[in-house]
Amino acid sequence: MNRESVRILFLHEMRMLARDRRTVILAIVLPLLVMPLMLYVVRSIERQRARSLKETTFRYALSGAEAGTVRRLIAARRAPGLRLEELPVTDAEAALRARRIHFHVRALSAGEAAALEEAEGEVSRRRPREAPAAPGEEAARPAGVPLVEIRFQGDREESRAGAAAMKEYLLEAARSERDRLLRERGWAMDPADLFRLERRSVAGAAQAAGSQIGKFLTLFFVMFLLSGGSVAALDSVAGEKERGSLETLLTTAARRSEIVAAKQLAILCVALAILLVNVANILAYVNFKLIELPADWEIAIGPAAPAVMVALLIPVGVFLSAVLLSLSAYARSYKEAQLYFFPVYLVSLVPAVAAVLPGVSLRSAIVLVPLANVSVAVREVLAGRFDWPMIALAAAVMVLAARGTMRLSTRMLSDERLITAADLDAAAWARGPALFSRHVFAWYAVMAAVLFAAAVNFPQLHSFRTQLLFNELVLFLGGSFLMIWKYRLPVRDALALRRPRAAVWPAVVAAVPAGHLAAAGVFRLADLVVPVPQRLLEQFGRELMPADVPAWQLYLFVALLPGICEEIAFRGPLLYGLRRRFRPATLVLVVGAIFGVFHIALFRLIPTAFLGMVLTALALLTGSIFPGMLLHAGNNAYAYWLARRNIPVSEWSWGWYAAGAAVFAACLYAIYRARTPYPGLHRVDAPRK
Amino acid sequence: MNEPVVVQGLTKYFYDESRGEVRAVQEVDFACRAGEIFGLLGANGAGKTTTLRMLATILAPTAGTASLLGHDVVREPEEARRHLGFYSSSTALYPRLTARETIEFFARINRYPAAQIAQRVGELIERFGIASYADVRVDRLSTGMKQKVSIARTVAHDPPVLIFDEPTVGLDVLNALELQERIREFRAQGKTIVFSTHIMSEAEKLCDRIAIIHGGRILACDTLDGLRRATGMRYLEDIFVCCVKGRE
Repeated sequence: MNRESVRILFLHEMRMLARDRRTVILAIVLPLLVMPLMLYVVRSIERQRARSLKETTFRYALSGAEAGTVRRLIAARRAPGLRLEELPVTDAEAALRARRIHFHVRALSAGEAAALEEAEGEVSRRRPREAPAAPGEEAARPAGVPLVEIRFQGDREESRAGAAAMKEYLLEAARSERDRLLRERGWAMDPADLFRLERRSVAGAAQAAGSQIGKFLTLFFVMFLLSGGSVAALDSVAGEKERGSLETLLTTAARRSEIVAAKQLAILCVALAILLVNVANILAYVNFKLIELPADWEIAIGPAAPAVMVALLIPVGVFLSAVLLSLSAYARSYKEAQLYFFPVYLVSLVPAVAAVLPGVSLRSAIVLVPLANVSVAVREVLAGRFDWPMIALAAAVMVLAARGTMRLSTRMLSDERLITAADLDAAAWARGPALFSRHVFAWYAVMAAVLFAAAVNFPQLHSFRTQLLFNELVLFLGGSFLMIWKYRLPVRDALALRRPRAAVWPAVVAAVPAGHLAAAGVFRLADLVVPVPQRLLEQFGRELMPADVPAWQLYLFVALLPGICEEIAFRGPLLYGLRRRFRPATLVLVVGAIFGVFHIALFRLIPTAFLGMVLTALALLTGSIFPGMLLHAGNNAYAYWLARRNIPVSEWSWGWYAAGAAVFAACLYAIYRARTPYPGLHRVDAPRK
Repeated sequence: MNEPVVVQGLTKYFYDESRGEVRAVQEVDFACRAGEIFGLLGANGAGKTTTLRMLATILAPTAGTASLLGHDVVREPEEARRHLGFYSSSTALYPRLTARETIEFFARINRYPAAQIAQRVGELIERFGIASYADVRVDRLSTGMKQKVSIARTVAHDPPVLIFDEPTVGLDVLNALELQERIREFRAQGKTIVFSTHIMSEAEKLCDRIAIIHGGRILACDTLDGLRRATGMRYLEDIFVCCVKGRE
């Protein structure tokens, strides 16, 4: 590599970027001007809101047989700063809806409460008096206990705030009343003096603060670097392709590797500059008290920590800038690169949150996972724990990953299909299926973005049924048929609606339990890399198998729908669109990985990607979507059946997994023997003479 | 062989989603002498651009060889490009650089001696009549102005071989004529010029030898007089049709 060429190209890139108004405004001016302004406005609004709530006299109505008791409690204990006014109303609910009162306190006797719960069908929620509520569980009313219910309008700020204040107020009043009763019945001491409870960390304040910062430092570094670097990266290759200047550059004496090195250096510099601007911005806010730190905040970083962090984070910067450059080189236009950016951004954040996961130690297989290893290592370093061999290993893995990604971006800049695609093939003119092959990644990127955005922004989709119905029917099935319609894809080919040989079916049936065992083994192996907290698994199990949904519905939602809709989405248009872009082995990896990414949660990524790869291989071997549907639905139904019977496959010995894998391999071999391959797969360019 | 450009058995196949395997260029042979304008004449899709892109090392040949001043385009692509100026309607300029910066950048990156770059840039600005807008950003220039800057950047490092791939596409008559005049000047300086076009009159006026390319194959290659003698026809248009029809 000629250093002088790299220097010339780097200076050229920097000059081009500095003259791009879009870069300068988005990356430098906006954070400098908009962020302080936004913070100032948000703080002003918050102060005004707090003042307004403080000055509000909360009007409420009191009803029910126990109203007198509650009225006495309220009267006996006036909270400082809380202004309350009881309004006499005949219909409290109507008054609440008409906004004449802020909230309604319904004080019911035990009998009234039981009758109400009966009417509302909440009997199942009531627990026996002696059964304590589980930690984190909303305590249900024990039998024979009166119920005080504060009813408010959740869509009104004042109503919400008033109800919350009243709840705290009544809880405190109830505690005072309890203490008074204890004293009246002869409890000699003040209940508060039973014992004194204290928490004391043996780690110093600086260590605790370092650990807290360390959890998020790599994540923020990755976020800022990707968002800042993208400004330069997207313009750097995709923008050049669009303008036609890339071809001009490629006909100069500069090597591809020199061009890549210069562009990557420019991206890294811009990303780091933007990162510094943002860090300086945040420090300025802290200095001017726009951001307030906790009172006991203390940071003490030893002399080794900064050097170690630089050694860890620089390869991360190189790796991410190479990822961005590869993305930009892969896209055919600036717009296409923007489409790819969001999923790449999300996927890159997943390993960066490793430090936040409880119980993840650097002295585990995670040290071999790029980004995740640095995330954990930085947390350890900032907490003052220097495990030198593992830190060195993490840095080495990250350097290797950065080097590999740099090579990938160099190869992409040499790929004829990517640098001259516009006129090498007639897809853009032919439209239809040929154009779909070019757009297929963009479609699935948008689908992933919609899936993520919908899950985060629409609480209506948080229930078991609505979420599955939206994902399976609207997104996967609807999205697939939209692609088929838009690109006029032949339905039979795009969905692989072909009949496999009869011998395939018994092999698939046998593969269901065997594959499940093998997948459980893979999950155990993945657990060594990214240990999944038991709490998370239990929560996932509860979400996937809610107690109030009948078994037949669970089989429908968990097994049948995904078996059909997900196979159509991932072994339908996706596989059809990519079939000629990759060789079969790569195709299996790519489609499987995309399938895994759509399952969002980090701990599900590896097992679902594995399942996705198996299902893709099955589709390629049989040329049909149907065996995959059977295996997918069968696998999910079998998993549910095991869970209902509390059969803990995940705790079995490794021998079982090995046996499962062997049987599964035998099934795949049987399917291979009866194969009818997927038609029209990637063909290799004619060999050179 | 002492010819600056030598092409032997050059072949390019690629796979296209909509058309399947495309044999864009098949066993093309030609050689170009110094001080000669060698024309590749063919209809759209004949394989002209693919051939020239292989010469410019943008595409790798499927088979065959090509060399520029003895440097193989596959084995020594950087050396080959250092002696080459490539101009086509699709090779755009950097919109955020000025005309002067553009010429300077291409001289530097093509390893023109650093000490002589300022002088070379000044000469080119003078020779191409760019002086009045030398310090204006390219995105503010007219098409004709951009064309002059583009030619200047192509020859910024004074390469002995120049490739012009359909250079007059999208230009008005006056700009096209001016470009042709420049190309003649380069020939007079002893440069080897490979020129592709689908415009018969352009090839007729400009090229010393013409290769008629169709379906990725060279059907005939000779001087205009030689082609006339071989086909018995006077006009290049008729000669072209005769070759293509004869092939079909």
